[in-house]
Amino acid sequence: MQKVKGFLLIGIIMSILCSSLMVITAAEMTAEEIINKRDDNEYFDTAQMEAEMIIASGSRIITKTMVAMTDKKNSLAEFTNPQDRGTKFLKREDDLWMFFPDAEEIIKISGHMLNQGMMGSDFSYQDVMESDKLTDLYDFEIIKEEELDGRLCYVLEGIAKEGVKVSYYRRVSWVDKERFIGLKEELYAQSGRILKETKVNKIEEIEGRLIAVDSVMENKLRKDTYTQFIITQISFNPEIPEETFSLQNLR
Amino acid sequence: MKKYFSIITLTMMFISFFTTTTSFAKVDIGGELNITLSGVLFREGEALAYPQGSLDLELYIPPFDNNQIKSAAYLYTNPTTGQMDFMFKKLYFRHKFDKLQLTVGRQPISWSFGSMLNPVDFSLGSVVMDEETGSKYQNAIEAYYPINWNSSITAIAAFSNGFKNVKWAIRGRTTLEGYDLTLNYVREAEQNSTETMIPVSQRIGFSAKGDLGPFGIYGAIGYNFEDIDSGDFSFLAGGDYSYYFESGSKIYFQLEYLSIKEERLSSLLGSLALLDSGLDSESNANLFLTRTSYDINEFSAISLFTISSLNDFSTIIMPNYSNQISNSLTFNCSFAYFSGKENTLFGPGLIGGIQEKPKMTIEAGFIYSF
Repeated sequence: MQKVKGFLLIGIIMSILCSSLMVITAAEMTAEEIINKRDDNEYFDTAQMEAEMIIASGSRIITKTMVAMTDKKNSLAEFTNPQDRGTKFLKREDDLWMFFPDAEEIIKISGHMLNQGMMGSDFSYQDVMESDKLTDLYDFEIIKEEELDGRLCYVLEGIAKEGVKVSYYRRVSWVDKERFIGLKEELYAQSGRILKETKVNKIEEIEGRLIAVDSVMENKLRKDTYTQFIITQISFNPEIPEETFSLQNLR
Repeated sequence: MKKYFSIITLTMMFISFFTTTTSFAKVDIGGELNITLSGVLFREGEALAYPQGSLDLELYIPPFDNNQIKSAAYLYTNPTTGQMDFMFKKLYFRHKFDKLQLTVGRQPISWSFGSMLNPVDFSLGSVVMDEETGSKYQNAIEAYYPINWNSSITAIAAFSNGFKNVKWAIRGRTTLEGYDLTLNYVREAEQNSTETMIPVSQRIGFSAKGDLGPFGIYGAIGYNFEDIDSGDFSFLAGGDYSYYFESGSKIYFQLEYLSIKEERLSSLLGSLALLDSGLDSESNANLFLTRTSYDINEFSAISLFTISSLNDFSTIIMPNYSNQISNSLTFNCSFAYFSGKENTLFGPGLIGGIQEKPKMTIEAGFIYSF
């Protein structure tokens, strides 16, 4: 069965979230094998989740809640907090559609809008949509090993492959050496400037998988802002009808 | 007739709702309370200010057995009478058959595709510069037939004036090479009253939206006619673009050109229509619209709309500021300045020979979501 990467609000978070419990000796692994090992745990047929997105800027904090489903390369997310209740996003391949609940209109999002923060968060629409395997997009190498929050990690650097369209030219990932779970990731522009940083606060074992249920993304270009993403419920491989990921289901 | 339509809809809703296993515990109420202070300044220096309030109240009923019920009421201060008034925005029942979705009742109908004005909408002026208007809400029956995940055909019968004068429409939508394409046909019913008789009018419309490199582009063509041989065209072309600063901020630009027969402007522009201009009603009005918005931070943004007549160079300039103060509270402040020579589209003069056009308006208020 074809394995696919999930939505989990969102590609970038998932890129550091999941891991297996298998222990593999470091000496035998290349950077690509480490990333693939980590990525293998991001792949599932379907997933369904409930989550909270806490957006902070200075002392002001706004919380948004959502439910999301993913099936292969398609995703559907619906916001449930009072201000955004009923707002839905449908991602199909490279296209993103938005449903406005008051007007009951479905509008296709322009391509250039995909780099802006989704619903005011530090996650861009592009972060949501970047669902290809990381090893297809980046050339990775191990640059060092170091301890992070008491866990020994591989530190891997990924540089975007030539001709491949990605949101971030370079990414540096801290992967737990024992559990193969991403604990931290830094995302850089081609100019070398750091754009975003994601760190995992809490990991839980759910349905036999290690899941980062609490993680934080900081937009490093802005002061005193961050977006915290908390998974409150998740199930893997539920049955999701094919028509779920359609414009008709956005209505 | 409207009353009967609502009664039929309500009856269908109650029968469906009470014959299913839907739990009352899952039903929720939410909405928005909007308190605004509005001011108008006229050219002679006369000014007036008045508070306005509105309440959007929606009953959230979980879907059950392929059925969906939606009910949203709108209480508002009627600007004409100053009294509180009431309307249903939504009061409809939807059933999803295997290959068809049928919606009966009062429902929002508009065919927005991302433009600021839409000359090929179901009702012209349903949405004006991102603001929805009352003409969007219709007593109607809608049949929606999905062909595949992105293609569909929709047929609508709207009963804005009872069952005699039915407005018909059919719309097809699909995606081709990343472009969102729609083709629609609308047949307005004959309007008969003691004072006027408006004959049947029809329109064929086409819209497209997609990307051209880093730009979003869109356009629409409408052909309005009573007889197929004698009609008039309306054209819309627009594009948008975002520029991202190193600081992480973003500025967004949108430009739009519209050409439409002048007599359709009052419908299309909604409350912004300040007609009695010197334009010949047989000629086309040419409008140029811009929108610029800048996100100050995660919670606040400023924007600027302009709408200019290329026929007489009159313009409306509309800056806006919004700030989300907390999870539930948002502050909005908007301003509109009307400029132009005497008796131009947006310049000074009298509307209908009686009412003086404003020089500027300002609105400031809070929206509380619950």
